[in-house]
Amino acid sequence: MKRIIAIAYVVWLNLLRKKDLYVLFILLAALLVTLVSLNIFGLGHATGYVKDIGLLLTWIFGWILSISITARQLPTEESRRTIFPLLAKPLTRGQLIMGKWVGSWSVVSTATAAFYALTYLIVVGMGGHLTAPVLVQGFVLHATALGVVCAMALVFSTRMNSDAACTLTYVLSGASFLVVPRIPQLMAKETGLGSDLLLILYNFLPHFEAFDIRRRIVHDYGRMPSGLFALSLLYGIVLIASLLLIAWIAYRKKHFSRGSML
Amino acid sequence: MNTAIETRSLSVTFATSSGHVTALHDLNIVVPKGTVFGFLGPNGAGKSTTMHVLLGFIAATSGEAMIFGKDVRETIARQSIGYLPERPDTYPFLTGRELLHISGRLFELKKHIIRERTQSLLEKVGLTAAADRRTATYSRGMLQRLCLAQALINDPELVILDEPTGGLDPFGRMDIRKIIHDLRDAGKTVFFSSHELSEVELACDHIAIVAEGHVIASGPADTLVPEEENLERYFMRVVREHSDASRAKQQPF
Repeated sequence: MKRIIAIAYVVWLNLLRKKDLYVLFILLAALLVTLVSLNIFGLGHATGYVKDIGLLLTWIFGWILSISITARQLPTEESRRTIFPLLAKPLTRGQLIMGKWVGSWSVVSTATAAFYALTYLIVVGMGGHLTAPVLVQGFVLHATALGVVCAMALVFSTRMNSDAACTLTYVLSGASFLVVPRIPQLMAKETGLGSDLLLILYNFLPHFEAFDIRRRIVHDYGRMPSGLFALSLLYGIVLIASLLLIAWIAYRKKHFSRGSML
Repeated sequence: MNTAIETRSLSVTFATSSGHVTALHDLNIVVPKGTVFGFLGPNGAGKSTTMHVLLGFIAATSGEAMIFGKDVRETIARQSIGYLPERPDTYPFLTGRELLHISGRLFELKKHIIRERTQSLLEKVGLTAAADRRTATYSRGMLQRLCLAQALINDPELVILDEPTGGLDPFGRMDIRKIIHDLRDAGKTVFFSSHELSEVELACDHIAIVAEGHVIASGPADTLVPEEENLERYFMRVVREHSDASRAKQQPF
């Protein structure tokens, strides 16, 4: 465990010192304040609108952050050649992968928590209301979704450079988020092979909609039933564990030298 | 256990765009414990590949490699190793002190031990004044010395040094030589590769010369080189003879 924490600590130091996070946070705050003050849709003073926009931006920023941070972890170790002194220590490749995931996910989750807090402060500042337990549930499920995205980026980065891993994770996670909830409707219009393919996609791709309770938060529908919440959480944990297992399988026999091995 | 490193019929084959390249052919080396072992060879001879197999970066195509009797594929085999890579690459956003702390944590050392060793190693490599500066501001020589310090953080029984004096000025080279002597005096095993044959002659007890993935000469430093030759001449002669012989084998007519 100490080794995993040491690797995660390096991820934290890197991100804190590169200042990417601060820039993103300021950008989110500026965007949110501008949207509210410009009153583009004539709804600037309706707190529901602010909640909606704030949470949407939080999801978008969290998604971008998780992919851009995680996908470059392993490829940068290799291109910087710091992988050599690292693997010369009694550190297993599984511990390295786990450390990178813990580091990336904890940074992204902390940033996301700050985004939630910012949205909360703006809504409350405008005289609006946000139910704390629902917001906490929303954050926990959101952080779980980000854990899945981080693990997905890590899988691709074990065998690809950071650009390729980023692109593939954006496409796959974006498609999962936007397309998967609509597959049942599409299947109703398809028959034969098309329907079978859609069914495979529906079962194969992650269901990010299981982690998204923004509507419940915005419209104040109250807390998600505990059983359903636990099930969503369990689904996320299983997904993360499976993806990290795939990452470990892909990375454990990787050779670090000139040329590829037989 | 009197052997620090032992390889038996170690072979490594790489796949390249133009076919297969065998980097190591049935390589057999035995490094006695407590010695300074110079691993020499021309560029592309297989020195770094051998080190990479010993450290688990690549797997051997066949044969086996052991460190203190443990298979190099086992993580535990690396518990008592310190490694200085050929290029001193570090995290530019960390300070020298932080790099040593993190290296110590990767060996699961206790905090007070890490603190003590960090301080003494920084003094040993002459980086105390620069310890709290980010490594991005270090010169090549400073990075080399920092990487050497991180290789010693776990007080290793075996130190593997890949071109330890490369890129260093004469003072830096002298410091490294002193550290190697100190390690030998402390009973540690040092396995190092270098193109600086005069350095090797000064520092080593045992020498092995590799060419085209074969060990072509090996033995104690004081008996391996004939009296009428120095190490440099001997090295040039055996490598040339090997290369002529293998060329003749490939073109028999």
